[in-house]
Amino acid sequence: MPIVALDLPRRAVLPLSQHIGAPATPCVAVGERVVRGQMVAKAAGFVSAPVHTPISGTVREIAPVAMPSGYPVTAITVETDDTMHEADTAARLAQIEADMQPADRTLSETLTAEQIRRRIADSGIVGLGGATFPSTVKLSTRPDAAIDTLVINACECEPYLTCDDALMRACAPRIAEGIELMLKAAGVPRAVIGIEDNKPEAIAALRAALSDGWPIDICVLRTKYPQGGEKQLVEAVTGRRIPAGALPAAVGTIVNNVATAFAVYAAVDAGRPLIERVITVTGDTSVRGNYLVAIGTPIGDIVPAITDGCKVVLGGPMMGRTAVTLDTPVTKGTSGLLVLEGRPRLPEQPCIRCTACVNVCPMGLEPYLLANLARRRMWPEAERHTVTDCIECGSCSYICPSSRPLLDYIRLAKSTVMADIRARNAKK
Amino acid sequence: MQAPRLLISPSPHIHTHRTVRSTMTHVIIALVPAFICSLWYFGLPALALVAVCIAACAATEWAVDRWLLGRPATTGDLTAVVTGLLLALNLPSSLPWWTAAIGSVFAIGVAKMAFGGLGCNIFNPAIAGRVFLLISFPALMTTWPLPGEAFSADAATGATLLGRLKLGEAVDPALTTADLWLGNMGGSLGETGALAIIAGLVYLLAVRVISWHIPVAIVATVALFDALIGTHVGIDLLSGGLLLGAVFMATDYVTSPMTRRGMLLYGCMIGLVTVVIRRWGAYPEGMSFAILLGNAVTPLIDRYIRPHRFAAEARKEVAA
Amino acid sequence: MSVIFITIAVIGLTGLAGAVLLYVVARRFSVEEDPRISRIADLLPGANCGGCGLKGCRDFATTCVARGNLAGIWCPVGGQDVMDRVAAIIGVAAASVDPLVATLRCNGSCSARPQRADYDGARSCAVMAAVAVGERGCSFGCLGCGDCVGVCGFGAISIDPSTGLPVVDPDRCTACGACVAACPRHLIELRPRGKRDRRVWVACSNRDRGAVARRTCSAACIGCGKCARTCPFGAIDIADNLAYIDPALCRACGKCIDGCPTGAILSTLPPRPVKPATPQANETTHI
Repeated sequence: MPIVALDLPRRAVLPLSQHIGAPATPCVAVGERVVRGQMVAKAAGFVSAPVHTPISGTVREIAPVAMPSGYPVTAITVETDDTMHEADTAARLAQIEADMQPADRTLSETLTAEQIRRRIADSGIVGLGGATFPSTVKLSTRPDAAIDTLVINACECEPYLTCDDALMRACAPRIAEGIELMLKAAGVPRAVIGIEDNKPEAIAALRAALSDGWPIDICVLRTKYPQGGEKQLVEAVTGRRIPAGALPAAVGTIVNNVATAFAVYAAVDAGRPLIERVITVTGDTSVRGNYLVAIGTPIGDIVPAITDGCKVVLGGPMMGRTAVTLDTPVTKGTSGLLVLEGRPRLPEQPCIRCTACVNVCPMGLEPYLLANLARRRMWPEAERHTVTDCIECGSCSYICPSSRPLLDYIRLAKSTVMADIRARNAKK
Repeated sequence: MQAPRLLISPSPHIHTHRTVRSTMTHVIIALVPAFICSLWYFGLPALALVAVCIAACAATEWAVDRWLLGRPATTGDLTAVVTGLLLALNLPSSLPWWTAAIGSVFAIGVAKMAFGGLGCNIFNPAIAGRVFLLISFPALMTTWPLPGEAFSADAATGATLLGRLKLGEAVDPALTTADLWLGNMGGSLGETGALAIIAGLVYLLAVRVISWHIPVAIVATVALFDALIGTHVGIDLLSGGLLLGAVFMATDYVTSPMTRRGMLLYGCMIGLVTVVIRRWGAYPEGMSFAILLGNAVTPLIDRYIRPHRFAAEARKEVAA
Repeated sequence: MSVIFITIAVIGLTGLAGAVLLYVVARRFSVEEDPRISRIADLLPGANCGGCGLKGCRDFATTCVARGNLAGIWCPVGGQDVMDRVAAIIGVAAASVDPLVATLRCNGSCSARPQRADYDGARSCAVMAAVAVGERGCSFGCLGCGDCVGVCGFGAISIDPSTGLPVVDPDRCTACGACVAACPRHLIELRPRGKRDRRVWVACSNRDRGAVARRTCSAACIGCGKCARTCPFGAIDIADNLAYIDPALCRACGKCIDGCPTGAILSTLPPRPVKPATPQANETTHI
């Protein structure tokens, strides 16, 4: 499925908190004129990311808007007019043209690691796989961490999503360029792209792009869920297992998404901050496909004709979050829009101890037990059974023949136990 | 325009097609060869027994749900039907229908619903029903019509192969290995046709309703132990309730362990106890008792045998 | 005959040996415990609800004896009566605490907050709060799944089907605080029962600006401050667009109730005799 560039919106809603860490601080005022790509909010600290506007126009409002969950977050609303809209669209077409060109490998020679990191930070790049962790923080490795491998996640985090696949097919050379820039920025010698074997065209495109002298290997993996989970991917690619509660750096790796690599290319080479991303639109809708969408586009503009009782999921079917309102915008972490019509959950039945959840759990947990402990509010016991290891992949709820909401309760136990642990540590 | 009223829910948003009902349907399909086998050998009485057990089990579950517990009936999940079918296949075809009905009421009413219904019972209901009948009506439960005389008014009866071995009698020289595989001998309805049960096992493995661990562990343990103490391995494996129990009863989800390693241990234990009872115990057949004992230690197995946590070795380092 | 005697002798001797063994063990390994602990434990309700903040009734008794005073220790379930008797055992003067009752600080009924989405997931407020603001759009208000009902060990809370909100039965509520801890939105407050069971409280927790709050819920406190100006005792404070009635200062006069433009203040005061109003007045005040 080729990527279709969706028209730029007339109105972009840019939440200040689209990443993990401190919300960005607005650096424009209401009524101010802004141009496409201009920073409208700057990073508030090291673990934070700036926000840029994808459209030229006027800042209309800096006020709370409802995020997908319905909880309000402060956002900057920019509105454009016809002439600016046309100019933006023309500029964007030229950029898309440039994105399809072969890689330019001179930049990773000429720029220093510090310069590349600076540009990545200024461009507001965060992990585009869904975790939205600011990329500069990941790439600023300590020398004593002894990182030897940059693992690139090309596994498509969830079923139904094809946005990474589409991006690799269209822009493999530029992704390679982005990866090389990341290697330079982090001071890591080699990268491995972990890709599932259900994407032969993407693998071929990457092989062609990496034909000569790249410090990048391709590792083809079996297609399964959750192959794109950080711990699962690092194990599959390097054979190393990340201990509970540790980061990939503990086993000498950094993990970044393939879309993030492309964003690094765009920021460093094309000088374009993170104002657009590819998302997959799928499910019970007429507009299925992969789209290049400006961040800040309200999801109601992308999926038309949503009726009562529909479910609109931001992200994939296994981990995505449902939207309460269609006014909520696409953010940096939105990898897909899934429309589900009239598919309510089946009524819950008693656990028949079929062991499906235990066998499917990628972390080796006992979901049936954890969910029962959570229902009885037995938090210390849940902690003893390492509920904090759960990666919330949803496999247990998916597989349960009794349709028990296992993950609903496990997630509750996990957050409660995490809060308890934090409180205990604070007391010490 | 009025904003649409959306559906919100926690992830995941998709669900497998497998349900309790479809799982039980698979089990019923897997039991069809054994059922046909019993019809072939024992005729109409077998059909009547199966019908009585299924009807009594389903009716008991419905009645307890509706009248005693005052909740919607759970009969639709077909678990009671499976219990009834399994119980019937564990009975001799000459058993009077009212005895079978009593066993069914005990199986569902006492062994299952009294513990809280589906998922809460400690013991496999069908086995519990069979053992209850065995203890309450020992004569009726150990009178085995011989196959082949299915439609005659008063079928000949005789001891099972295991029963004769227990009494120190010689194995009937007319009995061939083919008879053992095909189930052409005296015994309960469904436990005689080894091939039919293996066909069911293959089906259950193919549709992934069960894993190989429990049946293989039981059969391997029995074979090894028999070889060690010098019993007829073939007869021990192919006659009596061993295969039916290993494939359909010991693998009951509710009463078997939750981990693969636990299943292996559980299977070994059942195999050992079966051989011990058959060889040294008072009863010629020990599969039912062995499974009940296995059921009883399942909570203990689940307590001590846990799945391998991801990167468990690293966790130990941190703790040390 | 001798068989019988031998049997009797063997069993008798076994019994004797067992009795001696038990006696020795009991003496040797007996744990010295202040007898007051079990006397206090016997007085306590024995529900182990944790409402005192300790691990259960036994822990409560041990703590009382260990500290030798009752400062900061209170059994909300047993109340004044039990605490007086505990004080007598310890030998100190009994503390006195105003009896409390669980009070819901939300009045967003079905009619005040129309449903904006449908929730399909585990019926738990805590789970729902983590997924979204809830079916009714208010990020502060009651979610209506009844986590508080589930944790109440005294059957004092039930969900009123007409409003979708939990109702506390004051006769059954022991103010143990289980519901306070269970509510993910922290909507339940233990407030003094008040003299002659008269109490007034703000039944809203919405900290949004007035206009935003009003858009979500017609019964929301909009922080206008009218009640604070009306109160003759200075018991009402406005913070973060939300009024709060300090129970220590409130005299339950009820003046604030009539003035509230959204009807966010609730009370247990008996209904006032309605003044014979003129038809015009009726029309203007009719909502």
